[in-house]
Amino acid sequence: MALMKSLPKEYYQQLEEIQAVDFVVYELVLYLDTHPNDSQAIQQYNQYAQYSKQLKTQFEALFGPLQFGTAVKNKQEWEWSTQPWPWQV
Amino acid sequence: MTQESNPFRRSFVPFRGRFDPCPPLGKRTFVTPPNLFIGFQPPDFPQFSPIEALKKGTLWKPFYDFYESPYKK
Repeated sequence: MALMKSLPKEYYQQLEEIQAVDFVVYELVLYLDTHPNDSQAIQQYNQYAQYSKQLKTQFEALFGPLQFGTAVKNKQEWEWSTQPWPWQV
Repeated sequence: MTQESNPFRRSFVPFRGRFDPCPPLGKRTFVTPPNLFIGFQPPDFPQFSPIEALKKGTLWKPFYDFYESPYKK
């Protein structure tokens, strides 16, 4: 069952880290749209995209599904539609 | 009333017609964003750290554009 009481501190720390890394990925995507052959930025984009994926799998291993459509660990119970919902976080 | 410290802050006096019933607004100020002066972004721009970029709203240091109210608190 998802965590009913208040969420642990790590939950918020990891979520903020994921938000920050995803923001950098978005900024780099927008930058690369107008600067297609900036190889240094592409290399940085690859780093952050890979890091973001790693953070998300780590988060999902601890706190349940975060992204739509990724494989879930909990085979007995479907946690995607249980609490906490995004606005309850 | 308005801080002149910010070099990007500009001001204008709105036009007031002869038959305008409302009192004059006086000088109005606005802040011009940095992207007006940078043009095409050069490569290897200085960047913020991810957490700071999330808080500041942009990844690139020169594009950071905050707004301070010129009026006293």
